[in-house]
Amino acid sequence: MSPSRRNPARDQVAIVGLGRSPYGRDRVGCTPGSLVLDAAIAAARDAGVAATDIDGLCGSTVATAYVQAALGIGRVSWFANPASVIGNQIVAAVAAVHSGMCETALVYHNAYRMPFASRSAGRDPMRRRAMLGLAETRSAWGTGHAESGANSMFGANAYAAWAGRYLHDYGYGRDTLGLVAINSRTNAGRNDNAVYREPLTMQDYLAGRMVRDPLSVYDMDIPVDAADAFIITTTERARDLARPPVLIHASSLGSTDYGIEEQLLDLDHAGQVVVAERLWAKSELELADVDVFYPYEGFSNIALSWFENVGYCGRGEGGAFVRQHWVEREQRILIDGRIPVNTHGGSLSEGGTQGAGHLYEACLQLRGEAGVRQVPGASVALVTPGGYYFNSQGFLLRRDG
Amino acid sequence: MTQDELLDAFPGVRVDQDNAAYYGGLLEDRVLVNRCDDCASWHHPPRSACARCWSRSLTPTAVAGTGTIVLLTVLHQGSRKEGADFSAGHPLVAVELDEQPGLRLGGTVLGADPATLQLGERVRVVVRRLEGRGPRVDFERMS
Repeated sequence: MSPSRRNPARDQVAIVGLGRSPYGRDRVGCTPGSLVLDAAIAAARDAGVAATDIDGLCGSTVATAYVQAALGIGRVSWFANPASVIGNQIVAAVAAVHSGMCETALVYHNAYRMPFASRSAGRDPMRRRAMLGLAETRSAWGTGHAESGANSMFGANAYAAWAGRYLHDYGYGRDTLGLVAINSRTNAGRNDNAVYREPLTMQDYLAGRMVRDPLSVYDMDIPVDAADAFIITTTERARDLARPPVLIHASSLGSTDYGIEEQLLDLDHAGQVVVAERLWAKSELELADVDVFYPYEGFSNIALSWFENVGYCGRGEGGAFVRQHWVEREQRILIDGRIPVNTHGGSLSEGGTQGAGHLYEACLQLRGEAGVRQVPGASVALVTPGGYYFNSQGFLLRRDG
Repeated sequence: MTQDELLDAFPGVRVDQDNAAYYGGLLEDRVLVNRCDDCASWHHPPRSACARCWSRSLTPTAVAGTGTIVLLTVLHQGSRKEGADFSAGHPLVAVELDEQPGLRLGGTVLGADPATLQLGERVRVVVRRLEGRGPRVDFERMS
């Protein structure tokens, strides 16, 4: 096959602002993050754009979440930290702008003298500390917390705290979270790939070992060794291949300037809100067209938020919605008696693969290859991986034709 | 105080140029939060720009140290090296400081029965000295 000549982005994207933090071999009092901010602010001012104009971020080793929070860039629908400088960042941003993932992207890269490569840097004790990656891995990227452990509102600790806040604010008990867990387990019973398939009763759920109140062992994803992979190509080409194409009708990322987990202002500021807003704006499909729904439930409360954010119900109504659409006879959720949720068993029962399993199952269903758990006539899937902060994502997939 | 002394006081913590003033303050039992010299807004964790107006002129400023619990969990499981007693349940909270909506610090609540803690409860910041770990911000009940 000859090399592709396809270039629909030709002349469609331009560089409109330039910014720089001065190059130096003797700079003190700087961090990788502060260097990026120097350049980012200069570039935005050069272009005459404000924080509200920027909806895409792409950088090298300093996390986009750091730059977004540090510059108060309230809402971005696309962000990436690809590895290869600087072409990787530029082409990713060109693709993102051209494809409609964002309108205006801020792209950056910094260099930082490491102690092993520079004698003067080796004399800087804070640079030596920075090399160690303390306290948790994300802190090396400028996100996360400078301290880890039982007194840090990091990762699972924070999801538990937000789950508690949700139950408190909207008057739910833990049994509301339990419905999410039981739904996953019931569906997993029809999935040979699921690691936990035996039925889970509400009594079992409520007796589960408490780990991070209000999240028990049944509310948190199951660690597995696993992998999923996907081949992606143009629809035109896909139609010539062996398998039925699953069309990506619309997709979006979402992130807000939350900073660290406990600084998320409230659930109206979760990245999920940006995803849903952008996803429906880009789509010709509506929620009523969805046949199967895959809300991520690596922590059970995350799924309740997805029900709300994609539009099935309002803020705080996710718990009531799940109960209203609970089919006791089947021990699972069927929205309007028709639309199943996490047909594979999700991260809580199939196994935790951070949403990849959800996407895989949605594709299986749309190809009509889900075997005993096939949803008859499934033609539109809504897949929403990710939680509240840096990993909110949404996909509307549909069967071809 | 030299940078080496500051780092030595906080083993296991990612002390850097952005947050050196915060950790230096803890050694003097003070909680210093970055405040913008131009628009007076507060920011945490410490970074080198004002997220509101992009000013690079920030001053680590002492906070009153009072606030409200806005997030609460009780940890029942963790590794021994985390230095907490999980058998009784270890409370972990985020506290919104009175200075500004959304300005929050995380930590535990000292001397509190975790079963009695509630969202919305008023607490006060305490700088706690931990053996081998350096001082850190935690909280105690106001009443």
